[in-house]
Amino acid sequence: MDLAYYPGCSLYQSAKLYNHQTKLIFGRLGLHLKEIEDWSCCGATSAGKINDFMAVALPARNLGIAESTGFTELVIPCSACYSRTIVAQKQLQDFPLLKNEINLELSRKVKGSIKVSSTLDVLKRAIRSSSFSAIPLQKLEGIKPACYYGCMYTRFPYDVPVSDNVENPRGMETVLEALGVAALDWNYKTLCCGASSVIYNPDCAFDLMAKIMRDAVSRGANCLVVTCPMCQMNMESQQDHFCEKHGIKERLPVYFITELMGMAFGFSKKELQPAENLFIDGMDWTQLCGDSV
Amino acid sequence: MDNKAFEFNPQAADVFTREVMARSGQNITACYQCKRCASGCPVAEDTDMVTPNRLIRMVVLGDIENALTNKLTWKCLFCHTCGTRCPNNIKTGRIADTLKKIALDAGIDPQQPEYKNFHRAFFNYSLRWGRINEIGMMGEFQLRNMWDHLKKGNYIAVLSEIVGKSTLAWEMFKQKRLHLSFHSSKGRGNIPPL
Repeated sequence: MDLAYYPGCSLYQSAKLYNHQTKLIFGRLGLHLKEIEDWSCCGATSAGKINDFMAVALPARNLGIAESTGFTELVIPCSACYSRTIVAQKQLQDFPLLKNEINLELSRKVKGSIKVSSTLDVLKRAIRSSSFSAIPLQKLEGIKPACYYGCMYTRFPYDVPVSDNVENPRGMETVLEALGVAALDWNYKTLCCGASSVIYNPDCAFDLMAKIMRDAVSRGANCLVVTCPMCQMNMESQQDHFCEKHGIKERLPVYFITELMGMAFGFSKKELQPAENLFIDGMDWTQLCGDSV
Repeated sequence: MDNKAFEFNPQAADVFTREVMARSGQNITACYQCKRCASGCPVAEDTDMVTPNRLIRMVVLGDIENALTNKLTWKCLFCHTCGTRCPNNIKTGRIADTLKKIALDAGIDPQQPEYKNFHRAFFNYSLRWGRINEIGMMGEFQLRNMWDHLKKGNYIAVLSEIVGKSTLAWEMFKQKRLHLSFHSSKGRGNIPPL
């Protein structure tokens, strides 16, 4: 099955790993991701802070490109891009005048009809498919993940259909259960990590991340699993800073859901994190799982 | 902790409430102060008792100065916990966002000085090149900060800006998160007309 794919800027840069793994996992599940050509930045949260019109127009351009390719579904792994795009699409549907105004300048007109899905939406479907049951699964022993969703997977600045439970999303847990991994139940799975305020208001962001970390640790988690590249970057790259500030001794690796899936599908560490100069050093998961991988 | 009653300004209340409602798209008069938003707000611990519901009250009473300068307006992370819990579907995050815009329009300095520069840098960069390159975007952000410091003649701040951001870049480099390749979107020509 072919799906249109919008990686977004993060997945070309600081979360390059996620881009690579997503393609790898989807390929294994028989889902072919076709990156839409010449996509542009969705504007993230910043566009809406400066200009409300552009906050809709920027994702609308990508939607127009995706629709013109004839695909029925657009997959977006980054939570911020997903949130922006799905909100823009609903606003285009709700305000035809706004849509006309945007279409005046777009070379590929937007209709607002394509289905916008996050990676998790697709994975939740895929684990019920025959191509998934045909994959021999490696047992992941010793892994006790706390699934961390963050804000943008379930909470939106506009009324759009939400694909998971708002207060207690279970998408990642469902996927992990299919892999034979029991995720922990914990409190802070949707608390905000502070996002970009780590740049302009780090104290506030560190307080929030320390809360997340402390609860995950006290529940006995030995890793965090995420779908959002922003959360992953904050929780991992700032971990030493906020843990030192809040006196937390433990450190946890922060995996993308695709990494755990890749491990269960039997990909080697080299396949999941190939060229060393390109990707972040994930913590050594072979230590975590012992010899079972 | 400053916990005094808000000022009621009958002249301002009507106009201000309408403006905030129009720009945020939220029906704030529907708020009946149930405080579900307050109990969920992740930053409300340190906002001098200003919770999302009290922010709405300020606007409705026309206490403009308080509404534009309180800590919550500037600390709000736009996480939308308040909005999803509100029984009347008021997305207070968008009200805080609107208040920030009104404050910036009125020339009030943001409480986190780098807030404005970060979002401007991100937005301009995305318009100029079609895609974000983290180094380029952070470079623009840093130049904007330094320009602000220079205008105020604050040379020490300029220096600490350079040192601080270089440290950040070095840390990112160590973690192999820094990418030097350049990405742009070829069809970006049709973005500026928008």
